[in-house]
Amino acid sequence: MKQYAYYPGCSLESLAKSYGVSTKEIARALDLDLREIEDWNCCGATAYFPVDELLAHTLVARNLAIAEKTGLTDFVAPCSACFKNAYYTNAYLKKDPDLADHINFALEEDNLHVDGNLKVRHLIEVFIEDVGLEQIRNKTTHPLKGLRVAPYYGCQLLRPRKDHEEVENPQFFEELLSAIGAEPLEYPSKARCCGGSLIVTNRMAALDMVHKLLQEAVNLKADVIATTCPMCNVNLEVYQSQVNQAFGSNFSIPVMYFTQLMGMAMGLKSKRLGIEKASVAGTPMLAFAQG
Amino acid sequence: MTEKIGVYVCHCGTNIAGVVDVAEVSRWAGEHLAGQGVVISRDYKFMCSSLGQELIQKDIKELGLTRVVVAACSPHLHEKTFRKACEGADLNPYLCELVSIREQDSWVHTDEVAATDKAKAIISGGVARVAHHEALEPLRVPIHPDTLIVGGGIAGIQAALEIADAGFHVYLVEREPSIGGHMAQFDKTFPTLDCSACILTPKMVDVGNHPNITLLTWSDVVKVDGYVGNFAVTINKKARYVNEELCTGCGICWEKCPWKVTDDVFEAGLGKRKVVYVPFPQAVPKYPVIDAPNCAYFQKGTCKACEKFCPTNAIDFKQQDQQITVEVGNIILATGYDLFDVKRIPQYGYGRLENVFTNLEFERMSNAAGPTSGNIVLRDGKTTPKTVGIVHCVGSRDQNYNPYCSSICCMQSLKFAHLVHERTGAEVYNFYIDIRTPSKGYEEFYQRLLEEGTHFVRGKVAEVSNIARTPEEEGHLVIQVEDTLIGKQRRIPVDMVILSAGLQARHDAKEVAKMFGISCSADNWYIERHPKLDPVATMTEGIYIAGCVQGPKDIPASVAQGAAASARVLGKIQQKEIALEPVRASINEERCSGCRICNNLCPFNAILFHDDRMVSEVNPALCQGCGTCVAACPAGAISGTGFSNEQILSQIEGLLLLNVNGKLAEAVPA
Amino acid sequence: MTAELSFSSEIVNMMYATHGNPITNCLQCGTCSGTCPAVEFMDHSPRAIIGMIRADLKDEVLASNTYWSCASCYHCTVRCPAGIDIADMMYTLKRYSMWKSSYKEGLIGPDFSESFVKMIVNSGKSFEPILATTYLPKFGAGQLVQEALTATGLLLKGKMPLLPKKIKRLKNFQRMVKRIIPIGEAS
Repeated sequence: MKQYAYYPGCSLESLAKSYGVSTKEIARALDLDLREIEDWNCCGATAYFPVDELLAHTLVARNLAIAEKTGLTDFVAPCSACFKNAYYTNAYLKKDPDLADHINFALEEDNLHVDGNLKVRHLIEVFIEDVGLEQIRNKTTHPLKGLRVAPYYGCQLLRPRKDHEEVENPQFFEELLSAIGAEPLEYPSKARCCGGSLIVTNRMAALDMVHKLLQEAVNLKADVIATTCPMCNVNLEVYQSQVNQAFGSNFSIPVMYFTQLMGMAMGLKSKRLGIEKASVAGTPMLAFAQG
Repeated sequence: MTEKIGVYVCHCGTNIAGVVDVAEVSRWAGEHLAGQGVVISRDYKFMCSSLGQELIQKDIKELGLTRVVVAACSPHLHEKTFRKACEGADLNPYLCELVSIREQDSWVHTDEVAATDKAKAIISGGVARVAHHEALEPLRVPIHPDTLIVGGGIAGIQAALEIADAGFHVYLVEREPSIGGHMAQFDKTFPTLDCSACILTPKMVDVGNHPNITLLTWSDVVKVDGYVGNFAVTINKKARYVNEELCTGCGICWEKCPWKVTDDVFEAGLGKRKVVYVPFPQAVPKYPVIDAPNCAYFQKGTCKACEKFCPTNAIDFKQQDQQITVEVGNIILATGYDLFDVKRIPQYGYGRLENVFTNLEFERMSNAAGPTSGNIVLRDGKTTPKTVGIVHCVGSRDQNYNPYCSSICCMQSLKFAHLVHERTGAEVYNFYIDIRTPSKGYEEFYQRLLEEGTHFVRGKVAEVSNIARTPEEEGHLVIQVEDTLIGKQRRIPVDMVILSAGLQARHDAKEVAKMFGISCSADNWYIERHPKLDPVATMTEGIYIAGCVQGPKDIPASVAQGAAASARVLGKIQQKEIALEPVRASINEERCSGCRICNNLCPFNAILFHDDRMVSEVNPALCQGCGTCVAACPAGAISGTGFSNEQILSQIEGLLLLNVNGKLAEAVPA
Repeated sequence: MTAELSFSSEIVNMMYATHGNPITNCLQCGTCSGTCPAVEFMDHSPRAIIGMIRADLKDEVLASNTYWSCASCYHCTVRCPAGIDIADMMYTLKRYSMWKSSYKEGLIGPDFSESFVKMIVNSGKSFEPILATTYLPKFGAGQLVQEALTATGLLLKGKMPLLPKKIKRLKNFQRMVKRIIPIGEAS
């Protein structure tokens, strides 16, 4: 069984607990050995780069260094912001020896050293590329027949990587949803931004972006929006009431992590997938999981 | 014997003298290279001027110079000039060496002291080398008077007619069933708006009827042997399944053929054609082609309707591809361009949003002979758009796709705007980064569009979607763009979007270039000999280029290049024979071990192997003197005239100032 | 004597190490601003900001909210035909304005970033409720109530822990931070 250096990130300990538990559940069911790295720190999210670029890279590099020490080759993050930070710091370490020297000088204080040799991956990529759609299809005992899902990729899962067609019109999420029996919708705004941390720093701008995304999903008669990132999930779900207040709308659309949908399709208990914890009730979705 | 060497240092105005102390360099060479045989050293404002040349000639005669070194610009520019000057004074031209102290020195350095020292080293190298030069005689070969032209678009047609009218024979090879190229697909031509077919088809007919033109359509060049003046070209004539001797082009076969397929080539996917077809009514030649992969007879063995109805029994299902070889003296490549694949920009929605069209689709749509009989309508085939957005620079001026400007899109988009306005009265929006109208009558055309009330929005379109955010957007395509002149993001609802896709090199441009032994730029356009002064010749003698194969250009420029290339070819033909550079490799048979390493390395296929004697030999007419084999030969059996080991090694010694009397070596930076 | 660097050169220099092309390559085509999902909330479009930097309008750029309205979605970066990493430029401008301690009145972004940094330096992890205390005063009264309601709602759903976590080797971690910037002892 292949082992992965797993970096859950801060959100999975707080706002996105259900993402964390559902990930663990389906990883177990699909024989995926996610080894949480020890004593990891916050990667700085998007709020750190404005302060100091080198420090931002160093924070990320500490986690990479801890992962490298385990001897595992793949670094997996379930959060798109964590993934993007790790992906680029890892790549820059390799490309820029001067940057690597500065970072390693700081890492000495924690007896660590980083080379930038990891393969940094997002959790959804691991499920699709390593586990494979075939295996996911085989493990789907309760296909989500007729469940209309808007697959929401968000930003940092895709960008700023530049392989263009993939960036503007990716299909892998849709394929995953089809594999678990759901009906993926063509959701044109699937890669538009949810506002990210603007929800804190520029509330109206973020609510406006969330509003557009929700409106489009509702227009498509989506039953649920599926996400791959805690930030996206929180913005789309928790802030629905604020969107309703600001725009006079009346949205009440469930937002779920792709891991929760996969868990449902694999017949796992809703409690173990954290479905009850949703701000917008996700329980009606359970009816779609037909054994 | 000691050589008497003259050194001539050129100022090139301030090009060289602005950085290099030319008087000092000249003084130094006269003084410190005297031991190497330098008997005279001079500097002069412009060595390439007739006065400068006369200076050299006078010295050759009066001082009895046996070698000349000119320190000036790159040999690309003036090597011929100075060789001729020497020849004029009865010195073998190959005893003259041109060393570059401009491109390799003054233009690339700012430190005047170091640049002056470097000039001394370069001249020292030239002096050391020239002592080992040998007198050479150019190789003379006859030129075959026939010409091959590849590509039957407007550039190829123009070139073919010019040469044929001058009385020489032309083979015109075209990949498609008819000549005409992209121009045959267009409706109107900018800026005069004359009908494309009206001006093109008379020329096509002339080509078809010309006694001096052998037209080979539905054919590909598969192999090129030989060299300037004496090419042997193998052409594959694909099976048409129609006997050209018997066919009268009456059209009964395609009328009776019961099978229709989408025409992705001529009609850009908008229209259908029969399985036995000519691409368009004015096709030249008039003979149809059977599209075997779609033909019921070839796929299932049934039908044969065309054969049954053909009044002259011209249908021949048994016809095979046929390879022919032609001998020609010169070749013109006019293979044109491909259109950028707009699907590579998914955010523009082509293929996903049905009323997004490409420029070629629009050309066919606006053409009276096209699939909609010239009606500008939405994909449903009947609705006239009320608002149309035209997107410029699609895939052009973009580092993610093609970095260059496709040069025709501005004028083409203006033409589209005019046609839409004229035929539908719709509101037209042009989305542009810059409007480029730099030719005769083009700016006036832009003015005309401004007067017509076309909207111009300065901004590169970010995306096209069908997602309405307001009631006004409902049921429309929405173009999202920053109107950069007011600094605001705008969302403009339209019924139809036309993408002005850029031009790019043919998908197989690289392989074709390799076959003809010429080179491509990074974008796969063919490289001309000189971008300003020799735009239709290539670095390979006898191979010329014309039209879009050299880079994006419009019809007037393509025609001009076709004519220019033909003038170059006619000039060559009239010379009857050509002098080839005697810089050639030769193999010392006694030292050749017969390992054959050189055989496959030669980029010009100039080395043949004698099985009987187990040695290789260089065909001097094919050899271009590149030196690859010389460097590769493990036995050191190959030497290149003009580039012997002795010459190269002594030039290096000279550059390092190893054989200079005096202490200058320390003054020259390492 | 070295001449003082112009504002545009300062920004170009700060972006030297980024992996895009320099902003001097900008065609002013507006792809970034046409793409940007937050442009309506910016006082100048991203393209205009590039133009302003090149015109050395330092005061105007520092007074702009444009880069504090960037959500780092990188859509402009991947589409830019000149290959400029525009999202990274926004980070650069945030850094520049924090470095100069000069930004538009009433922005939450700079305080947010600063408190985020302090929090990470103090604990090694990020924790939403602690963050709130620093930036909440900037909210209007209505927003404050909203925020409290949302936070309470989240707590009730068990989404938020009551106490922040800390990493184990915090001392090492803080010394590591100190080797990069001298704020390791912030408390």
